[in-house]
Parts: sequence; structure tokens; C-alpha cells
Amino acid sequence: MSFHIEAITVLLNGLQQGAIYILLAVGLSIILGTLKFVNFAHGALYLIGTYAGLLIALEVNLTSGLLQEWGYGQLGLGLGYIPALIIVPFVVFVVGLAMERWVVEPFKDRPDTDQILVTFGLAIVVQEVFRTFFGSSSLPFSQPSWAEGAPQVPFLAQIPISSWRYYVIVITAVLVAIVYLLVEYTDFGLIVRAGTRDPEMVELLGIRLSRPYIIVFGIGAALAGVAGVVGGPLNPVNPTIGNDILVPAFLTVVIGGVGSIAGATLGGVLFGLTYAILVATFSSWAQVGLYAIAAVVLLVRPQGLLGEEGVAP
Amino acid sequence: MSDEAATSDGALAQLAGIWKPRGNEARVMAGTAIVLALFPFVFSRMPVVSGFLQGYQSLATLILVWGIFALGFDLLLGYTGLLSFGHAAFWGGAAYAAGVFSQYVSGSPILMVLAGTTFAVLLAWFLGFLSLRRGGIYFAILTLAFAQMLFYMSSSPLAFITGGENGFTGVETAELFGIFALESELPLFPLEMLLGTWLYVFVAAIALLCIALGYRILNSPYGMVFRAIRENEQRAEFVGLNVWRYRLMSFIISGFFAGVAGSLFVIHGTYVPLSSLYWTASGEVVIMTVLGGTGSLFGPLIGAGIYLYVENIVSGFDTIGPFWHLILGVVFVVTIWVFPRGIWGFVRDVRDRVTGGDD
Repeated sequence: MSFHIEAITVLLNGLQQGAIYILLAVGLSIILGTLKFVNFAHGALYLIGTYAGLLIALEVNLTSGLLQEWGYGQLGLGLGYIPALIIVPFVVFVVGLAMERWVVEPFKDRPDTDQILVTFGLAIVVQEVFRTFFGSSSLPFSQPSWAEGAPQVPFLAQIPISSWRYYVIVITAVLVAIVYLLVEYTDFGLIVRAGTRDPEMVELLGIRLSRPYIIVFGIGAALAGVAGVVGGPLNPVNPTIGNDILVPAFLTVVIGGVGSIAGATLGGVLFGLTYAILVATFSSWAQVGLYAIAAVVLLVRPQGLLGEEGVAP
Repeated sequence: MSDEAATSDGALAQLAGIWKPRGNEARVMAGTAIVLALFPFVFSRMPVVSGFLQGYQSLATLILVWGIFALGFDLLLGYTGLLSFGHAAFWGGAAYAAGVFSQYVSGSPILMVLAGTTFAVLLAWFLGFLSLRRGGIYFAILTLAFAQMLFYMSSSPLAFITGGENGFTGVETAELFGIFALESELPLFPLEMLLGTWLYVFVAAIALLCIALGYRILNSPYGMVFRAIRENEQRAEFVGLNVWRYRLMSFIISGFFAGVAGSLFVIHGTYVPLSSLYWTASGEVVIMTVLGGTGSLFGPLIGAGIYLYVENIVSGFDTIGPFWHLILGVVFVVTIWVFPRGIWGFVRDVRDRVTGGDD
């Protein structure tokens, strides 16, 4: 394999890895920026997305867990990947609405630490619920057969990357663009941005902020759900994936700058590329490199790459 | 000549004065010592009660080890009001340091604790210096990030020292003071019955010292400043306190306790699992502390006891055993939701309600 093919492979792998971070980070970031709420349970939403996607797309044989003991070892609708991609965001959106209503709202006026603690606790509860019902062993979530090989396009066919990874990148790009346009160019986005700056003033103008806020949370959750569906087939699926991905996702937000969609995107790309390049070169340092980058960015620019001074909590 | 003698007398008196108990201290410490002395007996050997509790000696020791960790964590969370998600760095870091020290330098338990604690304190100084530049959630995320970095460091680039995924297995603990093998039982009849092994005596003695130290810090003007910072950072700044420095100091003190506990953890287990650096270890100490009660000296110890009891004993029950982690998670969420001051705070509230006091 010639050098430039190898380099492009690494870059594309990096972009794909970054795309998953971006999907999670954009949601976390807009929630943190507008609602000022720290959601340590964002990984749990990713987990819900992955399992929901798996059960809608395929039929699975459970090998452990309560459901298997009760005789529901064979589960899943087997509808295929496209329906999963359409249904899961709605499911997780609804989960997000419920969470905003029953968790975020009661904890709005409590200290940051309480918000972190309660969502951290919920993340554990969700993880353990999944472990209890679906077992702790990894479930097979294969990439769809129509997206396994390299795409049959003149140049890309030489690059040993499955089409699924391209889909992940494209889906992420489209969704992030939609959210960006929504926040920057619609009346809804205007209210949300105004509420970020000065919620009291916006409410004095007779605009109820609770509704835009709950929708922002739902959108953030739905993005995590999509991340779960598209990221699921790339890694083993087990109950700890949610909390494992939470830390890099949070770092993406923080190095990009809280509340900034462009920042989260930049952070995700930076993370994904660093990771892929290090894996290809000094693989044992790959994970350490991510955290080192995050540390350096935060020490040099504490508000994040594209963050504004003073807006972040 | 006589002047010199007088000053050296004065210095001696001053030195003795440092060790002299103040206020309630003697009473609290005596009570704690009695509880620590009875605990292993009641927990693992007392007829009827221990049969009901199903406790065992080694778990009693482990509870004290984690108790020290949680106590130190509470100094930071409960008093200064900083939530760190990276204390695994000090716990696991000290464990590795003590383990490596035992292999290459000396297996003396006391020196191992010193080595591990020194490492943890230096690490806490460095990481605190970096993480405390941002407050609130950034602090939580930064500490988390640094601890994860250490985890990945020891998992592969430093695997030649740490043993990577397999953990560190080369721990060689020697006898305490060169005489007492830690795993052997105490010689005299009532002592053996009460305390069990030398290991427990060693851990309990250090735990008692740690509790005394914690009590002393919290009841000193220094500890008062921590509380002032938690209550209102700005006002503390206005009265001329250097908030940043006090925060860093409380982070280091908390790292010190985590270091002591981490070193004892190696001596107890003679093995350092890689997971002792993973952020779930930080999460565990968070849960213990909050469950037991933040902002109290003894709450975290109780929290550690409950957590480890559920993890090690309840998990063996046929009925609810498999769900132990889920149960702990639910209890944790309910605690934050309804009793943010934990079990200890709840007990105090009930006591105040009954006695009508506002102590």
C-alpha cells in the first residue's frame, strides 16, 4: 500500500472517530451552553441509542441477563439499519424530554456538583439496568452487508475503509449542519441564544423559555442516540460503552469551547485525527495523546479553542 | 545558659502542645479507638451478630482502607466544595508507587506507606496546580482527564513498570518492624479474638491517626477557611484570604489521605489492579462519600462500609445479589435527590428533631 493511500486511510479513520465524538459533543455543548446543565448521563443516552438501534436493526441472541433467563433470549425486530436510523433518534428524543422534565428541571437551582452527582448516578443506574436485562457480555452488532466493503467509487475503492465509515461521516456532517442552521438562523435559535445570554430578560419579554430548553435537551439527546446507532457497529456493544465514551466526549466539548457548535466540531476532528495518527504511529501512546492535547489546550486557552470568555459557567 | 534551657523547654512544651488534644478531641478519639477495636470482632467473629452480617476479617480491613480514602475525599468535596472525578490518580498512583517501592527498595509496610503517600502528595500538588485554574464543572472534568491520562499511561506506555493490563503483581511486603508478619494473628487470647491479624492493627492504627488528623484540620481555623470558601468564595476573597492557595492545599491534603489509603490498599491486597486508576475508582469514592454524608468526619467511613458491604456480601445473596450495583446506583440517586447530606446528615437531622437541639 503506497504512502498516500495509507495516509488517507488514517485521516478518514480519524474523521470517522471524530464524527462520533462530535455527535455527542454538540449535544452536550448546547445543553451545557443553554441550560447550564452538566449531563454526566449523556453517555447513557448513547448507550440507549446503541441498544435501541441494535434491537430495531437486527435480531440478537442474548447469552446472559434476565431477559434470556425469562425465555426472551431471541430479541429484536430485524427491520434493518435505515429504519433504526430513523426511529432511534425519536426514541432517544423522547427519553431526553422526559429527562429534562424530571431530572434537569428539579436540579436547575441546585449547585453544579449536585447536577454532576445525580447524572453520574443515573448513568450508573442506566448502565446497570442494561446489564441486568441484556447481560454484560458483548453483543454482535455487525455493519450492514451493503456497507461492508469499500465504496465502488473510482478513487475510494482503493482505500480499505468500509462504506459504513463514510456514512458515519456524512450523517454527522448533515446533522451538525442542521443543528447549526437551527440555532443560528431560525426564530427558535434566536430565542435559545437570547436565553443563553440573559434568561431573565427574555422571560420579561413574554417568551417562555422552558419550551425551547426542553427541545434543546431533546435534540442533544437525539444526537447522542444517532451516535449510538452509527457508532454501535464499529465497536463491541456492552453496557459500559456509554460511560467509556463519556470522558472523551466531555473533553471534546471543553477543548472546543462550551456552547459552540463549531468548537465541538473542531474539537472532535482534532481528537479523531490525533487518535488515528497516533494509533498508526505510536499506538501505545494513542489514548494518552488525547488527554495530553486536552490538557495543553485547556492550560493555554482555558475557555476552549472557539469558546468565548465569560459565557461559559 | 538558663535562658537557653528556658527556650528549649519552651520549644519542647510547644512540641508537646501540638500533640495535646484540644476540646472534644480526646473524647472523640477514644470513642473512635473503641469502635475500631471492636469492629472486626463484631463484624466477623461475634456469635449471632457476625453470623447475621456474614462479615469477614479481610473485608473489615478493606472497609477502613476505603474509609480513609473517602474521609480525605470529603475534606475536598464536603468542606471546600470541590468535586474531583480524578482521585483514582492518587489512590492508584500511590498503590503503584508503594508496590514498585516494595519490589525495588524495601517491603517495610511503614516505608511503603510513606513512599506511596509522598508520590500521591507530589502528584496532587502538580495536578491541583493545573486543574484548579478553572472552577466548577471544569475542575471535575480536568481532574477526570488527568486521572484518565495516568490510567492510559500505566496501561501501555509504562507497562514495563506497571505490568499493564495485568496490574502490578510484584508486591513484596515484609514484616511490620521486621517482626510481625502482617497476615499472622495476634498472639494473646483476647487480642486475637478482638482484632484478628496484625494487618488490621496496622491499618486501624493508621486510620485512627488519619481520623485524628482530619478532626484536627476541620476544627482548626484552617479548616474554617475551607468551609468559608465553600459557602461563599467571593466573601472569603474579600476578607483577604487567598482562595486559590487554600483550595490547592485542601486538594493536596485530600490527595495525602488518598495516598495513605492507596498504599494500604496494596499492602492489604498485595496486588495493584490496573482498574485502581480507572475513573470508576474515582466514582466509587464519590458514591461512598455522598452516601455516607458529605461535610462530616464519620459519614464517609460509614459510606465506605455500606458500599463495600453491598459489593462483597450482598452481591453473594441469591435473591438480590446480582443486582447489587444497580441497587447502589438507585440508592445513590435517591440520596442526592432527597438527602443531599447523606446518611450521617439524615441521622443528625433526626437526632436534632428528637432532642430539639441545634448542635
